Amino acid sequence: MINLSHNQLEIRFPEVHKRAGVKIDFQRTLRVPDDSETHYLPPGLGRFPLRHIEDFDLKNKSHLKKRGGVIMPMFQADALWLNFTPLYEQGFDEEYPIAIKIGTGKICAISGDKWNSSLNRDPQDYITVPGQPWLDGYNADQNGTVRQFVAAPLGKGYTVEEQLTGSATVGGIQIQAFPMKVKTYRKLMKSRSFGAEVEACYSAAPRLEHKESFDMGLAPGGSIKQDIYEDEYSLEDWDLRNSHRCFVTLANATQWMDLTGEAPPLSPNTEYRYKQQGLPWFDYYDEDRDAINTAVKLGKVKSPKELGAAEKDPKWDEELVHHPNTGNSIIPQFLSKESKNKDKKKWW
Amino acid sequence: MKRFGSYIRDCREKLNKESKGYSVRKVADKIGVEPAFLSKVERDIVPPPSEKKIIAIAKVLKEDPDILLAMAGKVSTDLLKIIQKRPVIFADLIRKLKKEPDHAVLKIVREVTDGDW
Repeated sequence: MINLSHNQLEIRFPEVHKRAGVKIDFQRTLRVPDDSETHYLPPGLGRFPLRHIEDFDLKNKSHLKKRGGVIMPMFQADALWLNFTPLYEQGFDEEYPIAIKIGTGKICAISGDKWNSSLNRDPQDYITVPGQPWLDGYNADQNGTVRQFVAAPLGKGYTVEEQLTGSATVGGIQIQAFPMKVKTYRKLMKSRSFGAEVEACYSAAPRLEHKESFDMGLAPGGSIKQDIYEDEYSLEDWDLRNSHRCFVTLANATQWMDLTGEAPPLSPNTEYRYKQQGLPWFDYYDEDRDAINTAVKLGKVKSPKELGAAEKDPKWDEELVHHPNTGNSIIPQFLSKESKNKDKKKWW
Repeated sequence: MKRFGSYIRDCREKLNKESKGYSVRKVADKIGVEPAFLSKVERDIVPPPSEKKIIAIAKVLKEDPDILLAMAGKVSTDLLKIIQKRPVIFADLIRKLKKEPDHAVLKIVREVTDGDW
């Protein structure tokens, strides 16, 4: 079952095991500059609001209700990352492993393959929790980096879906979660209780979170340093007969206000302002786990900037970033990388 | 709770003020009953019509069929089937939830739906 609680999807498998489940939320964040540089993990600026899609009158788009799931607002200037939290955070030893597939426009964000409702290993098309606390983008860049998930209007050719399929029919975000087989989990618990593999490789200090489509999809943005870890179990360890899935429809800010009467979260903070306030950026590095290779199919996709979005749409950059004082559009400055690779397994 | 007849009459008259396509005659036509019968239903002179007609009224007046059925003292066939499969469990569940606030009930029953995609 999937419940919505505090703008978070709570996916549970009580029929499998009381601990089997995961919580997923979508964090608003800064767009990192889309340039040749690789950037550190940007901060979380709070959860995007999520609502049951069937609660709203979608007017001429009411067919979208047939997909079920939830609806979420995004400004064109927004970027997001997915935050995965085990259901019971009472120590790594007891967390129940869950495999999660993530798609945008029904293209897998990990493998670049068309969406299918199973787990595949060659290439791996899912992430595992615990182990992968966040996902900031497509497995589309060089190894050890991802291309940031950034909002893009459907129908202009910027989304990954449009670049790989040539059509703009789906949009949104797709999630499907599979629990580990209960037999495997029990064996795992037994081995851990004997101290065989107790050493935690997952230190889940929360990444900073500031409390303060219909026609939308996601496109690849700037490059971010992030590994997507290889599944440390075998494919047979996952319970493919039990899965839950959710379609996240993306609405632009105007559509969201029309539908819900709620103001969407304010346009994102800029990297410029964030840097001026001396706020931290993040790195996560687990030397005990191997990362998977970049998805060959996603290697072909280009960012809106590379596709000339700014030239085609004069407002593109203005929506992207605004100077905190003047309101004029600005080009964000790069962050200093003096500390890069200095520390492993560290949050900063 | 308002009576079924007066409730649908209020809904119909409100819509009729906005678009003039909701006279007793026109609505009766749309749901397939005689205008005189609908008029009597609206004045609560006769009992509410069948489940099928109530669902048709809800559709025409853009109301929730479950609410209209509840006002008419009826339970939709699909809900009845669900209860009849496990009458003891559902009767117990509904009685236990009787005094719970809405948010607590929603938390128990509300799941994110999955559809065709």
